[in-house]
Amino acid sequence: MVKEIERYGIPIVHMATITTISESVGANRIVPTVAIPHPVGNPQLNSEDEHALRKELVNRALNALATEITEITHFE
Amino acid sequence: MKLEIGRIHIKDIQFGDSTFVEDGVLTVDKAGLIASLKEDERIKDVQVDIARPGEKVRIIPVKDVIEPRVKVEGTGAGFPGVTSKTTQCGQGRTHVLYGAAVVTVGDIVGFQEGVIDMWGEGAKWTPFSKTYNVTVDIQVVEGLEVHTHEETVRLAGLRAAEFIGQAGKEVEPDEVLTYELGGMFEETAKYPNLPKVLYVEMMITQGLLHDTYIYGVNAQTILPSVMHPNEELDNAVISGNCVAACDKITTYQHQNNSVILDLYAQHGKELNFTGVIMVPEHTTLSGKLRVADYTVKLAKMLGADGVIVSEEGYGNPDSDLLMICKKLEDAKIKTVLITDECAGRDGLSQPLADTAAEAVAVVSTGNVSHVVTLPPAEKVIGNPESIAVLAGGWKGAVLEDGTMMCELNAVIGATSEIGYHNVTCRLY
Repeated sequence: MVKEIERYGIPIVHMATITTISESVGANRIVPTVAIPHPVGNPQLNSEDEHALRKELVNRALNALATEITEITHFE
Repeated sequence: MKLEIGRIHIKDIQFGDSTFVEDGVLTVDKAGLIASLKEDERIKDVQVDIARPGEKVRIIPVKDVIEPRVKVEGTGAGFPGVTSKTTQCGQGRTHVLYGAAVVTVGDIVGFQEGVIDMWGEGAKWTPFSKTYNVTVDIQVVEGLEVHTHEETVRLAGLRAAEFIGQAGKEVEPDEVLTYELGGMFEETAKYPNLPKVLYVEMMITQGLLHDTYIYGVNAQTILPSVMHPNEELDNAVISGNCVAACDKITTYQHQNNSVILDLYAQHGKELNFTGVIMVPEHTTLSGKLRVADYTVKLAKMLGADGVIVSEEGYGNPDSDLLMICKKLEDAKIKTVLITDECAGRDGLSQPLADTAAEAVAVVSTGNVSHVVTLPPAEKVIGNPESIAVLAGGWKGAVLEDGTMMCELNAVIGATSEIGYHNVTCRLY
């Protein structure tokens, strides 16, 4: 899906825990996430800290979308 | 470390008033077994039954399979750290009721359990159609939290295996197998020209009822650990996994790990079997990276020339498998991988979730997505409707006449990644 959307000309970011798989399937903008059962959250944090974490991850993804890249890039 | 496994060949099982073996026939005190299991107040009811090879019996949903054994010399009685106090496993003498198995059955908690057919088409796909099985179907009291529910059922299976295993205590075994491996320097001095080969065993340790235990320690909490192979052959490792049935390593398969047995068979002939590294499979990227680096570091410290890596499960652990492979090969350590494939029902999809150019020696143990049609059983132990919620099954998979369709996913041990079975994939 990531590859096809990008092929159509729309910038796309892959948020994923296992970034080696992101690379092997051909994603170019990659944001590493937390864990497979909870990619963009962390149940061990209190709700305030978790909200901050989620917001930070989404902001990072939005920044990735707006960044020009020439090769596979991890936004860490 | 030296371990003797005394095999008592079991040719049939029956119920009786006490538990003993005579002329290869195992008699089980059913009432005594039930009373013993019910000492756990969390258990409401227990159904005990027998399933023999060739009988038109279907067992579903199966949680674990365990080989009944008894320690007759040395420490390590029971399942140390789980059903008995923690003592050292892997030395002395253990008697095994060879050909018998305890099959734990119970309500679905983690929804990834499996099926065993004792006859026909289904029997072809699972190694546990060839064992004489005592099934223990456990109902727990109401209101147990899911993890406690699952733990109760698992422990009951292990305790049943201990109870039945006692029958072998005073019996002269039909054969005695000796597994002996000294210290690494000692073995290397004995076989200076043989390649040092390590076994890396990956274990599912992903929480949510997907865990493996070593001496009762949840392997999710460990860094990769070096073990003597005898420890695993002698009850140190148990399954706590509700994962796809086809490639979960049941406790029975840990007790009889084919990779360990095969490496032992070649020790001192073609290779120098240097030991086992137990490796947890994590759900976080940092966990996967840490484990891969740590495993490679241990392999280098132990001077490995070659490593065999077996996976447990499929999907995200494929990436762990390939990370370990890449880093071992980069360290100039020859690496062989053992994995099954999730290649779709037609076998045409990408078989692993990840790839690496360094993975040049891979043993395939079958396609988990292959669909089989299992004819109606004359008797079902457990609950046939559970196929609707098993991985590899679906709603409507049981037809009115009792015929059942499922992917190999749902068949216990069908694509075992430690090779405890006979399936592979072939390229046409």
